Amino acid sequence: MKRFATIVTLAALVLLAVFLLYPLALVLDASFRIDGTGGLTLGNYAAIVKSRYYLGSIGNSLLCAALATVFACAIGIPLAFCLARIDIPGRALLLTLASLPLVLPSFVSAYALVLLFGHAGVVTTALRGIGIPIGSIYGLPGIVIVFTLTLYPYVVMPVLAGFQAVDASMEEAARNLGGSRPYVIRTVLLPIVMPAILAGGLLVFIEALENFGVPAVLAEDRPFLAVDIFKLFAGESDANPAAAGALSVLLIACTAIALLVQRHYLGKRRFSTNARSAPAKLPLTPGLRLTATIVSWGIVIASLLPFAAVLMISLLRFRGPVLTWEFGLGNYATLLSGSYRPLLNTLTLASIAAVATMLIGAPIGYVVARHRSRLSGLLDFVGMVPFAVSGTILAIGLIIAFNSGPLILTGGWLILVIAYVVRKLPFAIRSSSAIVHQLDPSLEEASINLGVSPSKTFATLTVPLMASGLVGGLVLVWITAASELSATIVLYASGWVTTTVVMYHAIEGTGAGLAAAAAAVLILVTAIPLLLINRRINKQESTVI
Amino acid sequence: MTAIRIENLTRTFGAVRAVDDISLDIRHGELFTLLGPSGCGKTTLLRMIAGFVDVESGSICFDGRRIDALPAHRRDTGMVFQNYAIFPNHTVAENVAYGLKARKIPAAEIVSRVDKALERVRLAGYGPRSPHQLSGGQLQRVAIARALVIEPAVLLFDEPLSNLDAQLRTEMRVEVRQLQQALGLTAIYVTHDQEEALAISDRIAVLRHGTIEQVDTPERIYRMPQTAFVAEFLGSTNMVPGIAGAFDGHNTPVAAAGTEFTVRGEVAAPGTPVLLSVRPEALQLRDGSGGSLVHARLALREFLGPVQRLHATLPDGTPIRISALGGQALDLLPGAPLTLAYDPAQITAYPAP
Ligand SMILES: Nc1ncnc2c1ncn2[C@@H]1O[C@H](COP(=O)(O)OP(=O)(O)O)[C@@H](O)[C@H]1O
Ligand SMILES: [Mg+2]
Repeated sequence: MKRFATIVTLAALVLLAVFLLYPLALVLDASFRIDGTGGLTLGNYAAIVKSRYYLGSIGNSLLCAALATVFACAIGIPLAFCLARIDIPGRALLLTLASLPLVLPSFVSAYALVLLFGHAGVVTTALRGIGIPIGSIYGLPGIVIVFTLTLYPYVVMPVLAGFQAVDASMEEAARNLGGSRPYVIRTVLLPIVMPAILAGGLLVFIEALENFGVPAVLAEDRPFLAVDIFKLFAGESDANPAAAGALSVLLIACTAIALLVQRHYLGKRRFSTNARSAPAKLPLTPGLRLTATIVSWGIVIASLLPFAAVLMISLLRFRGPVLTWEFGLGNYATLLSGSYRPLLNTLTLASIAAVATMLIGAPIGYVVARHRSRLSGLLDFVGMVPFAVSGTILAIGLIIAFNSGPLILTGGWLILVIAYVVRKLPFAIRSSSAIVHQLDPSLEEASINLGVSPSKTFATLTVPLMASGLVGGLVLVWITAASELSATIVLYASGWVTTTVVMYHAIEGTGAGLAAAAAAVLILVTAIPLLLINRRINKQESTVI
Repeated sequence: MTAIRIENLTRTFGAVRAVDDISLDIRHGELFTLLGPSGCGKTTLLRMIAGFVDVESGSICFDGRRIDALPAHRRDTGMVFQNYAIFPNHTVAENVAYGLKARKIPAAEIVSRVDKALERVRLAGYGPRSPHQLSGGQLQRVAIARALVIEPAVLLFDEPLSNLDAQLRTEMRVEVRQLQQALGLTAIYVTHDQEEALAISDRIAVLRHGTIEQVDTPERIYRMPQTAFVAEFLGSTNMVPGIAGAFDGHNTPVAAAGTEFTVRGEVAAPGTPVLLSVRPEALQLRDGSGGSLVHARLALREFLGPVQRLHATLPDGTPIRISALGGQALDLLPGAPLTLAYDPAQITAYPAP
């Protein structure tokens, strides 16, 4: 047993060292080098501090992430409370729908905003037609809206679990002892839910800070950290890898601090939803209940509406950037007429990545959950590092690391798969260790006791018992890999263009119809598998957070 | 049939000495119980025998052969877990066959042995069922069949009945005992329930803080506890502190609780503080006089059907519990004086801690 755990741990650490820590170390190194000569310098950081543009970029990103966090909490907490304590019609469906935005590609939602409210947007033109001008959604407002609508489930899930973890008897006891309802909320409910709010909120902050796709679609020329890093590294005219490295280090520093604070608040607390008796639904007047229903459904529908709009618009005909009200499959024809390759690439890469991620993640999750040691603790920590690293930065590190030297990977498909695997590994580890936590350890002991060796027990008993949970994880990794943009856009090579890359270039150019069709394909590719296994997903989501 | 010898076995977890220099000899075909309060190291000791907890120092031998360095899957023990540990993805029959398959027994023999094992635990015909269709008691029987069927060198039970309700618990412990005797297997049984231990064991080891307090037959453990801890842990005895008087060649008077108890034999040097163990059933309600007597005052009566438990106070207010038959002294009200007779041989004195 111990040997099995040690082998898995060491293999995983080596893998992470080569494909995560080494590339990141190179990014850090690049940030201290003079571009071209390679001498040591602090000049890259000095240049950032002196540049109004880059300070603005950092400021914009932080402000955006902070606002998104506040708004996501503002809608997520009431929604979680309604889901936990109010008898809302269609609660189960609402819960499923509420988790969707987490896995649907957020830059598609951003693009929907452009299609609706952009310069040539449907709503913009319609309102302009009747003489009502609307403000620009480009820049801060649009980005904050999209982040809020796509990231609020990060708040809802843990907070909902927190509300449900309050055993009814606990609240009844407090009431029985003479506490008024507000007093009980303040003294019993909030202390339990507060860490969940902080944990969920910080996750929103991290994701918003790292995200590349949404500002790439909506920032136009305004400075944003994630976009600037990409431009500095891959831009044709103004490339400056050293400055990209310095900005990357600053971004990682921000997300790492937020992640550490988040882990601290989450701590050892587990918001188990299986309180013996869930707290009773609140007795509400019909009016209040209706209000709660409308608000809850309203939030969820609003967050899914952009995706529906993209699906709709993809079926309409574009004349240049201008949308007409004629139906047709022309956009899809354009998308596929070039080549089926991008779609095929997306499906292939996502499949390989998903299988590889789970194959690597499941044993790690098992060891982390079952065999606590200093080494597995280290693995648990390193395994979470990808959370704090944006896809773009990881991709930049991979390029620096594997562009030359003994192992050359750039230009092929493998480097894309590696990036996906590394990025999704924390999820795979978390979800499989959560599954293992639910498995009674005495099952494995019984098997060993009956004469089956530990490694054979893992393969023939533990893995089958984990299987149903692992399938859910596999599908989620597949979905998120299929809609990955931030690392793909840095790493793809000519033969390995994916649907997300097609969409990105179509948005950059003038192919609005093409972009809409690509976006629609991405939605379908992600939503269909989700709907097929949505029951399992629900469980996983909450465990991952 | 296996004899087990454990010598100077030790295991610590950080500062906790979970198993502290324990030596035991367990005989062929014996049902040997490890009894003690929660946290005393019973499970750790059992799991060291099964191979799930590493031995720090000391040795474990089955029939003179050292097994403490063998990996768990090669020790040939059959363990029954507290929470059954039935594989949910296998049928009942597959669960029972699991260990036989691991031992590469021919398929035809497996079928007949599984059937026989299920019959033994009164689950004939349940083979094709899935575990989630079974009740807790039935699952525990499957677990027992699964452990029995491999005819292990030793059967290990870790509080196997504690997840069952009280009625089923008393039924199942008889079944466990009968199966173990019928098959003649050596068994080590862990429990914190003294009644269960007394009911089914050949011998009992009482554990405390990872060390052994006493190893003996149930009768001797109960009647002749060698330490105050054993006396107190087995049966709810009354512990009364007192001061030993002068030995009269036969008995020793002990001044305690504002009165005097007579204890058989020489207890301690006169003037030494001692602790008396007075079992509730050693005190009898009497009207008249004669023999050794103490006086008490009734405080509360618990009527339990066939018996009743009287809560009384000794002259200085020390509370004491007395067992009486259900029909006795029903007219007594709280505050009534009680005269209690006892046999000096039934009272045990321990050195005061
Ligand atoms: N894996 C472990 N890690 C740390 N301490 C342990 C571990 N297993 C047992 N202990 C400690 O050893 C002592 C004995 O535990 P255990 O053998 O489970 O007692 P019992 O079964 O008698 O209730 C307890 O204090 C317990 O906390
Ligand atoms: Mg125990």
